[in-house]
Amino acid sequence: MSTVSTAETRHGLGTRLAALARIVELGQGRIDPALITEAAQLLLRAGDRLKLSPDHTVVALAGGTGSGKSSLFNSISGLELSPIGVRRPTTARTHACVWGLEGAGPLLDWLQIQWRHRFARASALDKGESQLHGLILLDLPDHDSIRALTDPEANRLIQVADLVVWVLDPQKYADASVHRRYVTDLAGHDAVTVFVLNQSDRLSHEEQAECVADLEDLLKREGVTDPQVVATSALTGKGIDGLKAVLAKSVSTRRAAYQRLEADLDRLMARLAKNVPDLLHVDPTVDGARKAGLTDALCDAVGVSALGEAMENVYGVRSVDWVGWPYARWAAKFRRDPLSSLRLGAVKDDIRSLVGSAVSAQPAEVDNAVQALADGLTAGMPEVWQNGVRQAARGRSAQLPKALSGELSEVAPPLDRVPGWWWLLKIWQYVLVALFVVGLAWIGSILAYGVFKVGKPPMNILGDVGALPWVGLMLVSVLGLGILSAVASRNFVILGASNERDRLERDMRRRVTTVAQETVIQPVERELQRYNDYFAAITEAKR
Amino acid sequence: MKSAAKNTPDPEAVEQSGETAEPVIEGQPESPGEQTITFRSIRDEDSGGPEPDEGPDDDEPDAGGPGITESGAVESGMVESGAVEDTGGSSGDEQDSGADSAGSADSADAPDVSSADAPDVSSADVPDVSSTDGPDASGETSGGTDPPGEPADEEVSETPSEEPAGDGSPEGTPSPNGGPVREIPLPEPVSAALTAALAQLRVAVKGLHFGLDVPGSDEARKTQNAVLAQIDDYVIPRVHMSTAPALIVVAGSTGAGKSTLVNTLAAQNVTKTGVRRPTTGTPVLACHPDDYEWFAKGDLLGGLTRVDKLSEDTGPDSVVLVPTPRLPQGVALLDTPDIDSVVEEHQDIAHRMLDAADLWVFVTTAARYADAPSWGLLRRAKERGARLVIVLSRVPMKSRDVIVKHFGRMLDEYGLADVERFVINETAVREGRLADEEVTDLRLWMAELSVDDEGRAEAVQATLNGVFDSFRTRLPALARHLETQVALRADLRSDVDSAYMAALAEIDEATRNGSLLRGEVLARWQDFAGSGDLMRTLQLRRGGKAQHKGPERLRALKSALRTGLESVITSAVQRASEEVVVRWRQRAGAGDRLAATPGLGRPSDEIVRRTVRTITAWQDHVTELIRTEGVTKRSVARLVSFDVESLSLIFTVGLLGYGTTDVSVGAGNSALPQRLLRGLLGAESLRSISAKARSDLRARIGLLFDEETLRYVDELDSAGIPDEAAATRLYQATYNLEVAR
Repeated sequence: MSTVSTAETRHGLGTRLAALARIVELGQGRIDPALITEAAQLLLRAGDRLKLSPDHTVVALAGGTGSGKSSLFNSISGLELSPIGVRRPTTARTHACVWGLEGAGPLLDWLQIQWRHRFARASALDKGESQLHGLILLDLPDHDSIRALTDPEANRLIQVADLVVWVLDPQKYADASVHRRYVTDLAGHDAVTVFVLNQSDRLSHEEQAECVADLEDLLKREGVTDPQVVATSALTGKGIDGLKAVLAKSVSTRRAAYQRLEADLDRLMARLAKNVPDLLHVDPTVDGARKAGLTDALCDAVGVSALGEAMENVYGVRSVDWVGWPYARWAAKFRRDPLSSLRLGAVKDDIRSLVGSAVSAQPAEVDNAVQALADGLTAGMPEVWQNGVRQAARGRSAQLPKALSGELSEVAPPLDRVPGWWWLLKIWQYVLVALFVVGLAWIGSILAYGVFKVGKPPMNILGDVGALPWVGLMLVSVLGLGILSAVASRNFVILGASNERDRLERDMRRRVTTVAQETVIQPVERELQRYNDYFAAITEAKR
Repeated sequence: MKSAAKNTPDPEAVEQSGETAEPVIEGQPESPGEQTITFRSIRDEDSGGPEPDEGPDDDEPDAGGPGITESGAVESGMVESGAVEDTGGSSGDEQDSGADSAGSADSADAPDVSSADAPDVSSADVPDVSSTDGPDASGETSGGTDPPGEPADEEVSETPSEEPAGDGSPEGTPSPNGGPVREIPLPEPVSAALTAALAQLRVAVKGLHFGLDVPGSDEARKTQNAVLAQIDDYVIPRVHMSTAPALIVVAGSTGAGKSTLVNTLAAQNVTKTGVRRPTTGTPVLACHPDDYEWFAKGDLLGGLTRVDKLSEDTGPDSVVLVPTPRLPQGVALLDTPDIDSVVEEHQDIAHRMLDAADLWVFVTTAARYADAPSWGLLRRAKERGARLVIVLSRVPMKSRDVIVKHFGRMLDEYGLADVERFVINETAVREGRLADEEVTDLRLWMAELSVDDEGRAEAVQATLNGVFDSFRTRLPALARHLETQVALRADLRSDVDSAYMAALAEIDEATRNGSLLRGEVLARWQDFAGSGDLMRTLQLRRGGKAQHKGPERLRALKSALRTGLESVITSAVQRASEEVVVRWRQRAGAGDRLAATPGLGRPSDEIVRRTVRTITAWQDHVTELIRTEGVTKRSVARLVSFDVESLSLIFTVGLLGYGTTDVSVGAGNSALPQRLLRGLLGAESLRSISAKARSDLRARIGLLFDEETLRYVDELDSAGIPDEAAATRLYQATYNLEVAR
């Protein structure tokens, strides 16, 4: 039965420690560094302790100076191992007594007990003490004298011992140095903490009962739910057997080490889980609506729709130069140009070159778009994680405007582009103009030769008056054809431009989406995943 | 304790028989309770009548006007003892003559005294009183005539000068007489100066406010409270009545046996003892019945409620007052809670009691003497310069020598070699008391203190001086902490400012380097220019009215510009608010806590609305500028008219999109809008409009930011505004106190 439960405990502790390791890894920069350090130390300690002899139980006798730790140590071990004295503080170095030495060496090394302070009780000598086999009893220096202020030894060993026996005495049992520094801190360690009221020989029977009751009350007030209090007297030997029995029980089950680590873990987890938000799990992927929102916002930053509109308009205007009716154009040239009258003729070239400049994204708007995405996603998360997501979203947003610009200039045609069919139409218009000129010349020659008879026409057709109406009709229809084809081609240009615009907008949108996915969405999703992992680990380690 | 040592035989006598006055010559050693009442009634009379009766004393250089009788007595005591000690042989004469003339002086004084006291006082007392009174008068009268009287004269003239120094004897002598009698022991001017300085100090300390959580602010607040309590509980009462009974505070670890010790000394169970730790929660003051009144009404520990008996509802701010005849007069014992148990309030109470103590009795035990908290208390006593007595209690007989020697060595090493020590053996405690013989030494010491007025006064004064000395370091430390707070506040404030300054610079940069003319703004601008609307804004004069062919494009450009500018501002503000929080987090303590205030890490909710308003207003302002200041060059005006709305847009694009509108750049290089505008408005005019428009934009954004920063300032202010002058006031008050001492 006991082996099974040990295995179970061990298993549970293992998973929880693994979860703690994940917390340490994922919590970097997200939680108090002191907590991280503490968790890492616990991991290290747990790893070391679980590796070292599981058959031994380290029991530390801790307490204030003058409470009789060394006397108790000597009476449990039955030998005068640790010097006792009346000068305070007496013990300056930790003494250890081992019941059953085999395998205890590395553990004692780990505990940093000096060689000359190690003692062993050979099992053969211990009649009736076989149940203590596996006990490593430590006599700690005090923790409350002026010497202890500069000596962390007691403190260190209290933190690593499997079972701590607090040796108190009637005079000092309510000292703040024990309760505030340790008992409150180690609340929840009930299973691995024993309180001994030593020097009970100084009290009468009633006084002792009152004292023990008072101590138990005090401990309960401090969160020790079920305090084990044993009254002993190292002087008269009273209660020593009772204490030995408590120790024997703990040693024989060999569970104190696990219980201690579990209690430590519980305690650490209570602090780690203190600020756990209600929202333990967020959607680790950015949903479609948000992605679309980001794309929209980024498209706005690039000005995709404005770009399309501009393209449509500019094409419409510019096509006039190419596919428009040439006569109207020429007529316009005769109108007075305010710019040239201001000697600002070059401005036109400027406008032309302006129209040719490349597409780009506005950094501030990109920034705001990314920000809005992060804010939307992190509602309900603790602030430090919100910041994390924001940082992740922004991490590459410095390059985002540039990436967008680069990506889009590939798609967006320069506004001064001239399609081939514009040339054809221009030629067609000039052909019509040429026809018109030819027709005019024909009419001229008919008038010269046929009407005024200035000479013999080189060709009959040039002097045939009868052809005059037909030629006139031809001229009118050439002009008409020019107008018609100008109007028609302008409509085509606009139609083409709007098709172009649709295509362009779709294309740009697609590319913006791709860029956003790479530079914003992916890092954000990684961060969200980290959030989920972290709190999953917290939940698991909390048990 | 030197004087005490010198007088050792006396207290013994007193201790054994408090009423036998005979063996003691100096002072008023016998001073039993009745006599106190006697003196008080004299004074009561004094304030009214007896002044004229003092006629013969008129010529004496007595500063204490109203209390002539008493101070006369004081001085006489002083003179007498001084004479005995100093003048040796010659004093004999004087004594004699004094005694002689005392008889004659009696005739003047005695009727007065006896008439006042006849009902209360035994006849034996009366001559005694008058005899102390007598020599004074005789000293005066004989001093003038007697050649050996010169030293006496000196003494007399010295006396008032000693009083301001607050030295032992004048205050000390009458102390057994009960409280109110010695209300004005100090000459007026000094007392007034000191009182004023203390009052000023009190106000200055009270005025300190430590709102920000900097490392050490908790301690500072604690010190502030402690100093305040000490001034109220101890310093002011002590300065006013430095002759009042001395308060001996018994302090030490829990379970050290403080209560047992007090019970034993008081020979009655004045305070609870027991095995429960901590035992005592409310301080218990045990004093002689004659001093009872004084402690019950006096200002010493004035902040505490007096109760007669410990009951369930006794609050933390109370003290149990128990009269016990076994304690000698003039010394009171105060049993305090422990200094090191789990109940932390006890430590505060104990420390407050110690702050009001004239003498500290530190009790420790054989098991505890190396405890860190005990040594903390010793360090405190040393720092305060308090008169200290150490009692090592519960010492097992068999190891007594070892322990005493070890502890003694520790004390010597700690620099407390000359502190008086008492050792009490571990014995059975019966009914909350030790065997009486264990405390004989202590009892002797107390009795000695009771009768040796000079010694006691000296001890009281030493502690008072120690407290004043401690002010010298504690108060500047407080002031320094306040200065730290002020500096921190300034730092936090400048964090906000610099973050927003950076934001402003960022906006400036964005509107100069052309990054605003990107994305939508650029597209709209291309649209506007490329579609010919730009040209259409210019109309030939003869061409008739300006037609708005593309108002929608104009509007689109305008709104795109606004949106662009808005987003630049929003993004800058966002970064600034994050920056503030980051910077605050790096500041110790306070900043961290303030930064945790929700919402500080992001712009305020109204920022968007405000920004829109700001930009719109600015755009209107620019239009207005163009309308009023953009007077067209005359040569141009003849030819073209232009649309103000469009022109202001072009101007904005030029200003914000193309960076500087400085037209000094060669004609070929400057950007389109500038060249256009320069052509239309003239270089001079364009430059001035540009400068105006830009500075206006800056001003408006500055206003916007001011509203934003207000949130941080409010948050800072909510933690309390440390007053910079308070530190100066405190320094000044500390200095004044030093001067007034």
